Amino acid sequence: MPPTTDFTFPTYHQSYPPFYTLQPNHQTLTSQLRKWSRLIQRYARHHSLFKLSLPATIDSPLFKNVSLKKRLSLQDATKVLDWMCTDEGGRRAEKIVEGGGGGGGGGGAGVYWIWWKRPEEWGEEIVGWVERTGQKGVVLTLYELTAGEGSRGEEFWGMDGEVLRRALAGLVRKGRAQVFGGEGEEGVKFF
Amino acid sequence: MSSRRGVGLSAFQNRSSLSTSYASHGASIRSEHLTSLQTQLSVFRSLLHNFAIQHADTIKSNPTFRAEFARMCNAIGVDPLAGSNVRGKGGGAKGIGSLWAKVLGGDVNDFYFELAVRVVELCRASRGENGGLLGVDECKESVKRGKAIGGGMDVSDDDILRAVKSLKPLGSGFSIVNVGSKQMIRSIPKELNKDQSSVLEAIQILGYVTCSMLEDNLGWEHARAETVIKDLLADSLVWVDLQAPEKEYWSPALMNDFED
Repeated sequence: MPPTTDFTFPTYHQSYPPFYTLQPNHQTLTSQLRKWSRLIQRYARHHSLFKLSLPATIDSPLFKNVSLKKRLSLQDATKVLDWMCTDEGGRRAEKIVEGGGGGGGGGGAGVYWIWWKRPEEWGEEIVGWVERTGQKGVVLTLYELTAGEGSRGEEFWGMDGEVLRRALAGLVRKGRAQVFGGEGEEGVKFF
Repeated sequence: MSSRRGVGLSAFQNRSSLSTSYASHGASIRSEHLTSLQTQLSVFRSLLHNFAIQHADTIKSNPTFRAEFARMCNAIGVDPLAGSNVRGKGGGAKGIGSLWAKVLGGDVNDFYFELAVRVVELCRASRGENGGLLGVDECKESVKRGKAIGGGMDVSDDDILRAVKSLKPLGSGFSIVNVGSKQMIRSIPKELNKDQSSVLEAIQILGYVTCSMLEDNLGWEHARAETVIKDLLADSLVWVDLQAPEKEYWSPALMNDFED
């Protein structure tokens, strides 16, 4: 969905300085990480962001509060995102290893997928739309799915190609869809 | 009855008849009193009954009205919460006990129990960030905006206090403590010592504290201030901001934003 309004940050992001310091107490830290995670997901969703690259966004309003003169340091932001990659963090992020593609963990550039919806959840979303619009058994191109007129206004409209491919791959594995064609002009059929 | 002071033997008889007639008169006055009281009570009961039926909806939906109603019940020694569980507290209140159960028990009681469940939920959910000390104010706001089943409930401080009180029989350790001018719900059975309370109180007034602020305002030595702060941090009762010139310690009350 295209952002129609400005993103509203929660009050603690606006006016609570300690939010920008990762807390030394483990219990407090866990609840703080959870809050950051939810905030990042909401932010990404609002702006239809699928990837977050760390050195680049560290100065964005997400991590930096100009009026409060506080910021989440690069090191702490990395900690938050790494935590989001863990099971405890609900695997709401995934580090992208250099050279693109998936695969969790490892070193490399600080670029992360932000899973405000995980690929399997995206798959469900697409299947839901296909069923609602009675297009089961119809061959659709990937372009149609994410850039066509028919799906305009859906949340997956304009989504990242790589995420789409992963979502579809998940459906193919479950035998709920089939992907044909070569790179660039793939089509997909849902059962 | 003669007021004449008797002499001789007849005086004894006179006196005893006098005292019996006094006694019987007293008894008749007492029974008159009792019947009139009973009538009053039954009239009052039926009025209360009518009132409760007429205003059951308002009692449920309007927090101010509900608080006033609860205050009225309190003043006449009726506990709307105890009403439906305890079948009549003592002989005299027997009818009232069942009245509550019948008329209000279902409504008012459930209201408080439902609220209590939400309070417990909020305390549990926020325990990580506030160490089990949730302000009644914040709790109220969260309940109002609540996303729990059934949407937000319009409640007053008084309702929250009552709901917490209703948890007592469960032995859950939920209680109300006063920190400074603020009432807080404590969901972890832990006592604050005097130093900790004064720091929390200072935070309430000033927004945050630093060690040197404590030293200047309370006349504490550095070690004392530091120890108290360390304990509070360990109990998740304060959050630290390391990006300030001197470490600042903030109350987690502001973190209670259940919107996300």
